[in-house]
Amino acid sequence: MEAASVVFTLGWLQITSTVVTTWGLMLVFGVGCWLATRNLSVDQPGLVQTALEGVVQSIEAAIEGVLPGRAELLLPFIGTLWLFVAVANLTGLVPELHSPTADLSTTAALAFVVFLSVHWYGIRTSGLKDYLKHYLTPSPILLPFHVLGEFSRTLALAMRLFGNIMSLEMAALLVLLVAGLLVPVPVLMLHIVEALVQAYIFGTLALIYIAGGMQSHEASESPEAPQTNDKKGSAP
Amino acid sequence: MELNWTTFVLEIINFLALLWILKRFLYRPIVQTLAERRAGIERTLAEARATEVKASAMRQQFESRLADWEQEKAAARRSFETELDAERARQMAILAKDLATERERSAAQDAHRLETQKRELAAQASTEARQFASALLARLASQELEGQLVQLFIEELAALPDERLSAVRAGQNGHGKGILTSAFALTAEQRQQLSSAIDARLGKAIALEFVVEPNLLAGARLALGAWQLDFSLVGELGIFAEASTLGR
Repeated sequence: MEAASVVFTLGWLQITSTVVTTWGLMLVFGVGCWLATRNLSVDQPGLVQTALEGVVQSIEAAIEGVLPGRAELLLPFIGTLWLFVAVANLTGLVPELHSPTADLSTTAALAFVVFLSVHWYGIRTSGLKDYLKHYLTPSPILLPFHVLGEFSRTLALAMRLFGNIMSLEMAALLVLLVAGLLVPVPVLMLHIVEALVQAYIFGTLALIYIAGGMQSHEASESPEAPQTNDKKGSAP
Repeated sequence: MELNWTTFVLEIINFLALLWILKRFLYRPIVQTLAERRAGIERTLAEARATEVKASAMRQQFESRLADWEQEKAAARRSFETELDAERARQMAILAKDLATERERSAAQDAHRLETQKRELAAQASTEARQFASALLARLASQELEGQLVQLFIEELAALPDERLSAVRAGQNGHGKGILTSAFALTAEQRQQLSSAIDARLGKAIALEFVVEPNLLAGARLALGAWQLDFSLVGELGIFAEASTLGR
């Protein structure tokens, strides 16, 4: 898998095909959402509106299942993660386009945003002092492990998505080169499933990390309180 | 597997921009629409609950009113039945009274009809009897019967009460002579007997004019002015017919 090619440069900025594809996806998202939501009906929703409402309500329900009462707060971030990663993963199915998530820079950027958001939502919910205190619980000795866990899970988040999508595209390319025109079709079907699964995993892990950060204050206050189903650093 | 820092930074910016775009053009409108729909549903449910409460109250009111109406209906029915019984009794009394009146009237009409029939039968019987008697007496009329009737006339005159003769004796009739009418010509002896009897009963001498009238069938009639003493068969038949007429 070759590195993303530079499409053009703006001064010292090298604009790669990954960034251009992402801009295209943003344009599609922006225009599509603007067209779909400019005439929403409360009483008689159309087919597109019904589908969008279904998507939004599904995301809300998933967030509500993990963090009851915080769906409204986390819907934009988690929803954008799910939608962007899913569509970006599927972009590789379009001829002449590569998935932005097959680029480590994109997955690292997304993982970094998730890393920052965990602390942002945690500090916003618990306050800086209480939030930092949870790194010292149950014992200050565990602080290095907490810090190592934070970075390792972020790295795992980036590498997992990048590895899966990159390998999918490479496998499809290899099968296409070796076996001919129609044989890669099952591989492409697998690509679709894997793309959606990886998007779901990425978003769900981000949600769980954020939930862990937001509930760290409660956990440090009452160690007997039930913990969120946090899968720090676990691989899918 | 190469990390391009420019791409890394731009992808962070792109993601944040996409986050704003989706928040502005997708989540906010959709969530707002869903909230409005939920509010509308809640409002509709609230209205439905209010309508249900109102309907329940109206149903209770209706049931109460229905119960009151049933009571009023029962009371009105009892009152109507009472009035109906009273009216029936009154109508029956009126009917009984009318029937009694009608029965009395019918009885009176029957009695009157029977009386009329009885009178008519009596009149018819009287007429037939008079006709029969007239026919029989006409056939029995003879000189001998004339003589017997003259004797009876003399006896009747002798038995006549004085009250009936007082006016004649006083001469209030203003007559000069008496007219004695007979069906057959009287003999001299009969004339003498009659004249003597009349003179003796009236207490004065009365001049008599003897007239023969066959229509008398038999017997004699004495006329002194307006006063008459008739003892003929026609006179008796006349008395008989007059009695029949008065008896009706």
